[in-house]
Amino acid sequence: MSETLLDIKDLRVSYGGRSFLGLRSTGFEAVKGASLSIRAGETLGLVGESGSGKSSIANTLLGLVPAASGTMRFNGTDLAALDTHYPPEVRRNIQAVFQDPYSSLNPSMTVEQIVTEPLKIHTSMSRAERRERAAELLRLVNLPETHLPRFPNEFSGGQRQRIAIAAALALQPKLIVLDEPVSALDVSTQNQIINLLYERRDALGIAYLLIAHDLALVHHISDRIAVMYLGHIVEEGPADRVYHRPAHPYTKALLDAVPLLDPARQRARRAARRAAPASELPRMAEAGCPYRNRCAFAMERCHKDVPTSLDVSGGGTAQCFLVEGGTAGVSGLKEKVTT
Amino acid sequence: MTSASLPAQTTRKSRPAWMTPSTLAVVIPSVLVLAALVVCALFAQWLAPYDPLDQDLIASLQGPSAAHWLGTDDLGRDVLSRLIYGSRIAVIAAVEATSLAVLIGVPIGLFIGYRGGWWDRLTMRLVEAIVSIPGIMVAIVIIAILGTGLHRAMFALGILYSTAFLRLARSVVLTEREEVYAKSARVIGASPTRILVRHIFLNIAPPLIVQVTLTVGAVLLAEAGLSFIGIGVQPPQASWGTMLNTAASYMELNPFLAVPPGLAIVATVLAVNLLGDVLRDSIGRGIRVPAAPSTAPARVRTAPSRPLPPRADDMLRVEGLEVMVSPKGGAEVPVVTDMSFRIARGETLGLVGESGSGKTVTGLALMGLIGAGGRITGGRVTLDGTDLLGLSKAGLEKVRGNDVAMVFQDPTTSLNPAYTVGNQISEVLRVKQGLSRRAAWDRTVELIDRVGIPRATERAQAYPHELSGGMAQRIAIARALSCGPKLLIADEPTTALDVTVQQEILDLFRDLQDEFGMAMLFVTHDLAVAADVCDRIAVMYCGEIVETAPVDDLFANPRHPYTSGLLSAMPHGASGTPPLPVIPGSVPTPGHWPEGCRFAARCPHVTEACAAPVPLSGDARLIRCVRADELVLEAAQ
Repeated sequence: MSETLLDIKDLRVSYGGRSFLGLRSTGFEAVKGASLSIRAGETLGLVGESGSGKSSIANTLLGLVPAASGTMRFNGTDLAALDTHYPPEVRRNIQAVFQDPYSSLNPSMTVEQIVTEPLKIHTSMSRAERRERAAELLRLVNLPETHLPRFPNEFSGGQRQRIAIAAALALQPKLIVLDEPVSALDVSTQNQIINLLYERRDALGIAYLLIAHDLALVHHISDRIAVMYLGHIVEEGPADRVYHRPAHPYTKALLDAVPLLDPARQRARRAARRAAPASELPRMAEAGCPYRNRCAFAMERCHKDVPTSLDVSGGGTAQCFLVEGGTAGVSGLKEKVTT
Repeated sequence: MTSASLPAQTTRKSRPAWMTPSTLAVVIPSVLVLAALVVCALFAQWLAPYDPLDQDLIASLQGPSAAHWLGTDDLGRDVLSRLIYGSRIAVIAAVEATSLAVLIGVPIGLFIGYRGGWWDRLTMRLVEAIVSIPGIMVAIVIIAILGTGLHRAMFALGILYSTAFLRLARSVVLTEREEVYAKSARVIGASPTRILVRHIFLNIAPPLIVQVTLTVGAVLLAEAGLSFIGIGVQPPQASWGTMLNTAASYMELNPFLAVPPGLAIVATVLAVNLLGDVLRDSIGRGIRVPAAPSTAPARVRTAPSRPLPPRADDMLRVEGLEVMVSPKGGAEVPVVTDMSFRIARGETLGLVGESGSGKTVTGLALMGLIGAGGRITGGRVTLDGTDLLGLSKAGLEKVRGNDVAMVFQDPTTSLNPAYTVGNQISEVLRVKQGLSRRAAWDRTVELIDRVGIPRATERAQAYPHELSGGMAQRIAIARALSCGPKLLIADEPTTALDVTVQQEILDLFRDLQDEFGMAMLFVTHDLAVAADVCDRIAVMYCGEIVETAPVDDLFANPRHPYTSGLLSAMPHGASGTPPLPVIPGSVPTPGHWPEGCRFAARCPHVTEACAAPVPLSGDARLIRCVRADELVLEAAQ
């Protein structure tokens, strides 16, 4: 097993908080004590709905937003303590690809300028060397060299995302944060990008933090998957285990909500859903387990105690009392599970 | 390998798209005027027939003659020569003041925009103070301090106009620094200065050019104004302003004296401003302008499909619908062709396709809502026996909301933020159904309750921003259903929502249809969503339907290669680890569709027969593929 590249412990991120004469108001807390780790060359899928805090973790890791508390050890350096002022050797090793390929490329720069910009900042390569490297990077993302002098608006969404990936690969980083890298693309182009990311990872040994809302998509290329709900990482574990045998009721709800390509199974699921009464409680519970208001399995103690991360049989952890004693959690409760 | 072999989306053209005859008619005269100005300024010594300061008191205030083409002024100086020398002053003035304004305004604007905080607040208050006083007054004050003369006056104008550049640069930085590319630049480790200079500054160019041309015009006018009131260029030096000054004094004796400098000023300012407009329009790097097709097909070749046999329960029939749009400065391009489908009462038809397939345009066309630049060029749309395309504007307005209603993708923008959600529903009921205020409100609360929003009475008073995305979409649905429409068009109604919320909204659509019995056209890019809510599905590719089938058949047995490709490319369709199945290449943009089968270039089953246009054919299912009968295609897993 390879060494740990990134180790996040008890990370908290908040927005709108102001420090005034030593008095702190916390504002809105987007991440409430998250712990994650990524080994070198490994892909961690981070899944959650909007507002779950997954992008906040990405932005904090990238040094765009300061951490309120906790540690983020990257290659031995605690990034949380640096308060977004990362030294160059950290910067060059953490790159990113963002969701919207239409605004993530500067419309006034050519493809060559975009792809070589990281090289200009971090290396002493000559102009000719940079140009050669740019051509090589385009080849890595399956684009012809002739695209170098062109501007981003001449390309389709999928091609732009390839250019963004080429720029992220330029410095041969150890970690790339992929923030919803395909959700703005057409279905027929999404898999091209997923395949490309997968190929490059295996060839170059890069670790990915893959952030997405779609569990099915994340499952394809992740080694492990972490699921977030309202700032908490409610479940984490090997990708296959989380996808096929979710331990936390929320992970299961997420999987069950994904529309299927099978109309008959959809109809069966709908019938089962209609039989169950809908909850009118707010999404966020005030005390106890944050998910209990929407949970079909909520018990007495879920209203009082907050579950901590407990080991799940089959690997990983879940913040749910159902997995106490190392069971399979909600997937173990055969009789209660709806199809 | 995939897109590498494909040509870039837009092809380079030998002539920029803006160079149309109408813009050339503006550009050529403007350039000629400015070129004449520059030539006059550079070669005044050789061009001017007389010395501009040469006095001839005997021949003063003469009209145009052979010796003096534009006559003479009060001291007998040749007006033409003074006009030519005056152009030199005009050029110096414009260059000095404008470049000073740019050099002061842009860097300060960039700095305070990026830095923010105290620097920004302080500078902006100062700028606001300057801007709040009439410009000419500020210039007079600065000249009062510095003294009169051309260069001092231009220095004053430079400072004055720098405020415009400062505010421009600041506002561009404020918006651009939030763009994802600025975020990317921070991630790769670019310093703030580098982000400002290398990344953001580039994007100031388009508005900057426009501002420069506006400023040049303004400076010319201001120079003339200052010289006219005697604090700019000092007599006897020839400038257009001083010439006007002289002309004003002798208006009674020789009114012609004001004409040459006046015309010169008007022509120059007009030329600069018009040229600026064209320049602004031609800089479209940041905007995705659909490229005009290299060959301008007045009409695409299609093989018209057989007309659909009429059925008794048809609510909506669309036959041979064709929609064209005209991209800016280009020929008309078809976006929807040979579009035929029917929806029965209580039935849901899914219109599925990728971006640019024409599915949204089709939905808008049914509502008569295609924006400027697009028009319906053929076909028939019949709703419950009424021909929608034949309706007058007023007739169509009556149908909209009453008989046809629409739910859009983003509920937070399709609801008006200034009114409570209850108001927005009851307004529809009052206008369209003529209900009283009281009755409309009661019905509104009933509808809000019906779409599954708890505490309906209370929620009716809420503003859209107080609701979550899912709740807001429920309100939009309640509004669409308020008048009991015969047809509901839903355009990607769940795309902006989370999966768990999406599931609830899809359930709601199903329930409401059972209850209201309306026909539904469900536009989506997601085949799995369509599998959930639709009875039949029409798959669109490049502006035409490639396959129509009942939902179970489509997923169990796709007959068009594109449908099959899409199904296997869905995240849940494919299983296991990469490489995941892909459809090679990308969707061609309108105007770049192939002549024959539009999917041919990406199709693994392509043959020679695919080079000719393919009609939609079949009985129970309609397929647009010449090999439909022989192919055995992969279904969803």
